[in-house]
Amino acid sequence: MIRIENLTFYYNGVTQPVLKEINLEVNSGEFVLVTGPSGGGKSSLCRCLNGLIPHFYGGKIAGRVEVGGLDTFKHSTKELATRVGMVFQDPENQLVCLDVEREIAFGLENLAFPRELIAKRLEESLDTLGISSLRYRQVHELSGGEKQKVAIASVLALHPSILILDEPTSELDPKGAEELLSLVMRLNDELGLTIILIEHRLDRVLQYADRLIVLNRGAITADGKVRDIMSSCYQELLQMGVGVPPMIRLVQRLRDKGISIEGTPLTVKEGRAMLDKAFHGASGRLTHSSGSIDGKPLVETKRLWYAYPIGLTALKNVSLSIDEGEFVAIMGRNASGKTTLVKHFNRLLIPTKGRVSVDGVDTRGATIAKLARKVGFVFQNPNDHLFANTVDDEITFTLKNLGFSSSEMESRTNEVLAKFNLIKYRNHYPRSLSGGEKQRVALASVLAGQPKILILDEPTRGMEYRLKSELMSFLDEYRQQGNTVILVSHDVEIVAEYASRVILLSEGKVVVDGEKHEVLSRALLFSPQINRLTQAFERYGVPNNILTVDEALDVLP
Amino acid sequence: MRSLRYQDKETPVHKLNPFSKLAWIGSVLILALILDNPLFLLALFLLVLPIIKVAGIWKEWLSTMKFSLFMCLAIILINALVSSRGSHILFEAPFRIPVMGIPVITLEAILYGVAMSLRLLVIISVFAVLTFTIHPDDMMLAMIKMKLPYKSVLVISLSTRFIPTLVDDTQRITDIQRSRGLELDGGGLAHRIKSRSSIVIALLSNSLDRAVQVAEAMESRAFGIGRGRTFYKDIKFTITDITTVVFALLPGVLGIVMGIYGYGQYQYYPTFERISLNGPEWYLLALMTSLLFAILPLAYIKRRVNLD
Repeated sequence: MIRIENLTFYYNGVTQPVLKEINLEVNSGEFVLVTGPSGGGKSSLCRCLNGLIPHFYGGKIAGRVEVGGLDTFKHSTKELATRVGMVFQDPENQLVCLDVEREIAFGLENLAFPRELIAKRLEESLDTLGISSLRYRQVHELSGGEKQKVAIASVLALHPSILILDEPTSELDPKGAEELLSLVMRLNDELGLTIILIEHRLDRVLQYADRLIVLNRGAITADGKVRDIMSSCYQELLQMGVGVPPMIRLVQRLRDKGISIEGTPLTVKEGRAMLDKAFHGASGRLTHSSGSIDGKPLVETKRLWYAYPIGLTALKNVSLSIDEGEFVAIMGRNASGKTTLVKHFNRLLIPTKGRVSVDGVDTRGATIAKLARKVGFVFQNPNDHLFANTVDDEITFTLKNLGFSSSEMESRTNEVLAKFNLIKYRNHYPRSLSGGEKQRVALASVLAGQPKILILDEPTRGMEYRLKSELMSFLDEYRQQGNTVILVSHDVEIVAEYASRVILLSEGKVVVDGEKHEVLSRALLFSPQINRLTQAFERYGVPNNILTVDEALDVLP
Repeated sequence: MRSLRYQDKETPVHKLNPFSKLAWIGSVLILALILDNPLFLLALFLLVLPIIKVAGIWKEWLSTMKFSLFMCLAIILINALVSSRGSHILFEAPFRIPVMGIPVITLEAILYGVAMSLRLLVIISVFAVLTFTIHPDDMMLAMIKMKLPYKSVLVISLSTRFIPTLVDDTQRITDIQRSRGLELDGGGLAHRIKSRSSIVIALLSNSLDRAVQVAEAMESRAFGIGRGRTFYKDIKFTITDITTVVFALLPGVLGIVMGIYGYGQYQYYPTFERISLNGPEWYLLALMTSLLFAILPLAYIKRRVNLD
C-alpha cells in the first residue's frame, strides 16, 4: 500500500535534512500511530505520502515514495487525492466553503464528478461520520470537534484508501478528542481504511493502534507493536520526551523497584488486572500538604455575573478568592465560562453585576494597562502574541507599555532572556522559531514585567509532553517565589501533577472548588488515569484519592 | 459585526431565484442613477422598504442606515459649503477666500446634497437586499453562470468564509496586546495608528500562515486538477422564475427609455425648479412603481408553487 525507500528530504534553504534515509512499508488496513518530539519530521513524512512534498513544499529530495502503486514524486497531490486523504491540525484552516454540504462536495466538484454521484457520496460521508444533522449548518458556527468531523467527511467523500491525520485533536477539548479518535478507530475497523495518525497524547490512542512508529531527528527510531515498544524502548521514549501514559510509567517504575509485572497495560482495564497483585496489601497513607496556603487574597470575585452583549449569560453568581502563592487550575467543559472568568481578572471584561477586585483594587476603577503590571496573561497560541521583528523587541514592547525606564528595560530584558534560555535568539525573528521557543518568547514577554499573578489560558493544548513538563516546572518555580498561577486547562494529568487547587465550572457556575485530591479523585471525566486505575484497589485499603505516579509509588510498601 | 452577514431565513424574498433578485437590484440601480427628480428618488427609496420588511432584514438594514446617514450628512454639508452655484443665497460669509471667492451657502446646493443623499440611500439599501438575502454561495454560482472565471469567484467566496475567523482573531489578538499593557484609547491619531500596529502585524502574519494551510488543504482535495469542474448545487429555473426575471428587468428598461426621452429629469442649478411631475411623468411613476412592486406578489406566487 505504502512503500518508502531511502527517503531523504531537505526543505529549501536548510542544511539539515528533515527526513533521513527513511524506509517504511505500511500494509493495507493497518492503523499506524506516529509519534515523537516536535521537529522530528512527523508532519513532513505525512506530507511526502500525499505529494505535498515535493510538489507544494520544494526542497531537495532523494529516494522513492510509492503510494497505492503511484510514485508520489511524479504524481501531484491533486492526483493522489483519491488515494490519500489528509486531515490537518487546525480545523479552521481546512474548511473552505460556507456550509457543510458544499464543503463535502468541494473535492468531488474539483474532480468534475456528475451531480448524481456527488449527491450519493455526500449522503454516504454524512452517514459514515454521523453528522447528517450538520448538513445545512454554516461552517463558522460549528464547534472545533464538529469542524474536524466535517473535514474528515470531506476527505472521505473522495474514497481514499489511506487516511492521514496530522495531530487532529490538538485543537479540541478532551470530549471532542475522544469522540474523534473513536470515530477514526471505527473507520479503520469497519471500512478497512489504512490509518496513519500523528498524536502526542498517547494515553487515548495506544489501545487502537496496530503499530507504533517513533520519529526523532528525521529518522525512525522505533517501529513495531505498541506494547513491545512501550516496554523495550521505554527509557529512550522518556529521554526523547514522548508522553508515555502515566499507567505505563507506573508499571516501569515498579519494575525498576524489582516488582515483577506481567505485560504492559494499554487500557485502565488491563492495568487493573496487571497491577492487582502489586497493590494487594498496599495500605500506605497518602501524605500531601493540605492545599491551603495562608497568603493574603489577591483575586476576589463577589457575586460575579457576566452576560455577553448577544445575551448569553456566561457567569452566574461566582464568588471566590484566590490567595497569594496559590496554583489554581480552572477546569470545566467547553463554554462553561472558564475563559470568561479569568478575563475578569485583568479587566478584559467588566462584571455585568457583582465585583472583582485584584490586589484590593476594584477592577472597575482600574485600566487593563495599569493592571498589566500585576496580572500577566498568556494565551494558548504563541503566534497571537508575537509580532515584533526580534525577540528583544517583543520583550521591550511589554516593558515600554508598562512604563519602565530604559535602563530598567535593558536589565529586565537580559534577565528574562537568560531565564528562558533565549539569549542566543535575541536578534531572531520570533515567529520563525520552533513551537517550544515561541511559547518561551510569549511567556518571557509577559513575565518581563514581573506580574504577581500569571494567568494562562490552555497553554498546553496541542503541546508535546516534553515542552509541557518544561513549562509546568517553570510555573511551579514561579509560584514558589510567592507568585500566583491561575491555569485554565482541560489537561487533567497536568493539573493533577502541578496544581494545588481546582475550581470546576459548569454552565457559568462554580460546581466544586477545593484541594485537587478532593476534586479530581473519583470524578468520572475529570480523573487522571492513575486515579481511575487505583480506584479499583480501594478494597485493599489503598487511598482513593491518588492522582499521580509518585503518589501511587508512595502508598506501596 | 457578526449579525451583519447573510443569514438563512425562510422568507419569500430569500426563496426567490438569485437571478430574479439580481435583475431587480440592477433595475433599481439603473433607475437611481438615471433619474434626477427627487420625487422619483423618494419613490424608489420607499419601494425598497417593503422588500426589506418582507425579507425580515429590517434590523440589519437599520444598522447600515445608521452608518449611511453620517455619510449623507457629510455629503450635504460639504456640497453646501463648497458649491457656490445657485441663486438663492441663504448665507454669505463676511470674508473672502483667495481663489474661491466669498463663501456662500445656497438653497440649491443644499437641495442638491439632499437629493444625492437620497440616491445614495437607495443604492445602499438595494445592496443591503443583495448582501442579506442572497446566500454567498448562490451569489458565487450566479457569477459563474454569468461566465466570470471560477478562480476569481472562489477568491470572493473564500474571503466571505474567513470573515468570522478574522473577526475572532482580531478580538483575541487585541485582548492579548492589551493584556501586555498596550493602551488603545486616548492619544492622537498618530498614537492610535501606532498602537494598533502590533495588532495588525500579528493579524497579518497569522492570516498568511492560514493562507498557506488553506492552500495545502485545498490541494489535498484535488483543487485545480484541471479537468473542468462540476457544481453540486445549481440554480434551477422554473417558469415562475423566468417570468420574475423578465418582470424584474422591465423597470430597468423603462429607466433607460426615460433617460433617452428626458423624463424624470430635474434642474437644480442655477435656480431650482418647482418639484413636480408633468403629465406623462405621473404615468411613468405609476408604471415604475407597479413594475418594481410586482416582485413581491411574484415572490409569494413562487413560494406557493414550490409548496405545491
